[in-house]
Amino acid sequence: MKNISLLAILFSLFLVASCTDKSVDPVDEPGPVGLEFDNVAIINDIVRQLNLKTIGDTEYDLMNGMDQQFNVTLLRYYISHIVLEGPNGEYFEDEVSVSATDSKGYYLIDESDATSQAVELENVPAGRYNKLSFTVGVDEDGVLEGAAGGALDPANKMFWNWNSGYIGVKFEGQSDVSIGGASGETVMTDNPKGMVYHIGGWKDIDGTPFVYNNRRLTLNFDTEAIVNSSEAPEVHLYFDVLKMFKGVNTIDFTGNNNVHKPSDGKAAAENLDAAFIYDHIHQ
Amino acid sequence: MKQTILFVLVILMGLACQKDDGNDPENPYQFVRPSHFPEPTYTFENNPVTENGFKLGKKIFNDPILSIDNSIACSSCHVKSVAFADPQHRLSLGVFERVGIRNAPGIANMAFMKEFLWDGGGIHLDFVPPNAIENPVEMNETLAHVVQKLNAHSEYPDLFQEVFGPIDSINAPLMLYALSQYMNLLVSANSAYDQFYLGKGSLTANQQKGMKLFEEKCASCHSGVLFTNQDYRNNGLDTVFMDEGRARITEWDGDLGKFKVPSLRNVAITAPYMHDGRFNTLEEVLDHYAQGVIMSPTLASELQQNNKLGIDLTTDEQQLIIEFLQTLTDWEFISNPIF
Ligand code: HEC
Ligand code: HEC
Repeated sequence: MKNISLLAILFSLFLVASCTDKSVDPVDEPGPVGLEFDNVAIINDIVRQLNLKTIGDTEYDLMNGMDQQFNVTLLRYYISHIVLEGPNGEYFEDEVSVSATDSKGYYLIDESDATSQAVELENVPAGRYNKLSFTVGVDEDGVLEGAAGGALDPANKMFWNWNSGYIGVKFEGQSDVSIGGASGETVMTDNPKGMVYHIGGWKDIDGTPFVYNNRRLTLNFDTEAIVNSSEAPEVHLYFDVLKMFKGVNTIDFTGNNNVHKPSDGKAAAENLDAAFIYDHIHQ
Repeated sequence: MKQTILFVLVILMGLACQKDDGNDPENPYQFVRPSHFPEPTYTFENNPVTENGFKLGKKIFNDPILSIDNSIACSSCHVKSVAFADPQHRLSLGVFERVGIRNAPGIANMAFMKEFLWDGGGIHLDFVPPNAIENPVEMNETLAHVVQKLNAHSEYPDLFQEVFGPIDSINAPLMLYALSQYMNLLVSANSAYDQFYLGKGSLTANQQKGMKLFEEKCASCHSGVLFTNQDYRNNGLDTVFMDEGRARITEWDGDLGKFKVPSLRNVAITAPYMHDGRFNTLEEVLDHYAQGVIMSPTLASELQQNNKLGIDLTTDEQQLIIEFLQTLTDWEFISNPIF
């Protein structure tokens, strides 16, 4: 009993000591960084917010690289393995880990859910950052551990059961030139104008024919994000849906637009590199 | 006083150790690798098998709540008495009498498999059940809706709490964890062949002759104690491939018509045979290898030696191989009361 009270006294002394040890400058303490994924259509340098349409809506408000009109009924994608870097060796790697109840470091950005578009990074070491890297899609470390909760929950309809793996980018919409017959979450085969692009494929194994469609992207900032415990910089990013169809590959909506396997999604996947754009930092 | 504390501590540590070493022969609800089996592939570090978890998985496996109209359970197509294969349907039969595209294989020894399904499209056991649950020709449900039904159920919420500790609600990954716990304990390693292999039992002279022939003619593909090299091969069933097989996954023509080499454990009771259940008996299977193999660009090289299609086998030899294959039936496995 005596021993216990002694312990208690020692412990509280220790607690007090750690409290009074607050001499560290907040500018040296880690802080948060926000990333905002803003899904847009950039037409002649003018940024337009996306406007999700319902199935059957024949108002086509967008145009691909072949002047074919279309609209968007669903847009969802995974961002993972986020890394921030700075000019003086600053480095932050977002923790990635999965369990049945949570998946840390995987973010499912959904155009129909505004809160999903704001990614909050915590405990970023103090410093200046001018470079952001991330993976679009889910690599093997997110797949091979088995079923995972949170963003990776297979009930989120971003998983291929027939060919285990996550759909990295899921786009669905309608085009007046589509031959129809596509099927997805919002689009059904009887929809005469439907288009479905489910882009996946994570097996990156040398010497095998597997198509790998995840993209590792790096965006440079034109300024530096200042990070410490009394700052909360917000990095504003665009995802330009038009660039998915108009880039290194020009995608024709009169062709196959019922995309459900890695090889069919390759062209759109290669366009993703230019579709993610740094806009500005709100310090 | 100090001594008693020390004493209690030592006992506690002893108890903790006993629980940890995972080899308590009294406890049938733990995963034990049979000594002659390879290392398991399953991620047990994420999802170890527990008694309650196994029992929960078993309950889900047998519950038609997983299908859209509460008509079909996993056990409708994977029947315990025939090593969890489907004895009735050449192609699986799902909700609303919908016919599937493949035959339901037995699901023993899943803990040791690298990939799943006839084309290897499943890369982790946890991800196999959704393939049935969300398949329009099997259970035609969605994971989200199944989870909703489980959460609204009178028993499941408490059962999940017991297994997985304090959780907000049942989610799909936890349900898949429970199913995997159940399937991972379905280890079949005690057939007459195993007894013989381990030096604990004998095989008849004919069975041993059959074994020799099998090792010579079949074991390049059906290799090791699992009787599969887990590779994808074309064993000469077709020239035109209605089912692309492995090529569906690799998207490479060189894999057209290749299927996963199936394990042959319990094969005498898992008819019908092949990915589409085309053969009803082992006699038909052996006859296929002896004189039914058909040429195609992806045909396995073993089946086209010396300018001859198929495997050189007299009818007597075929019969001996069948006698050997019958020694792979694990009666203890299919009558295990806990499964
Ligand atoms: C309608 C019949 C049917 C139902 C219901 C069904 N399965 Fe299957 N199962 C099959 C078929 C057919 C295959 C082979 C599919 C393929 O290869 O594409 C299979 C394959 C499997 C495999 C892989 C076996 C291997 O060797 O690769 C496992 C594991 C499995 N099922 C477990 C389950 C579980 C768990 C459930 C319940 C959630 C279930 N099945 C429900 C028909 C069914
Ligand atoms: C070149 C590799 C190869 C060789 C050699 C081979 N098999 Fe097979 N076996 C396979 C493949 C692949 C399948 C599945 C094919 C399918 O379903 O399309 C199969 C299927 C089977 C099946 C059906 C199992 C089931 O559950 O449906 C049996 C039985 C079988 N083989 C027995 C034998 C025997 C006996 C021999 C030797 C005489 C043999 N095999 C030789 C590759 C091989």
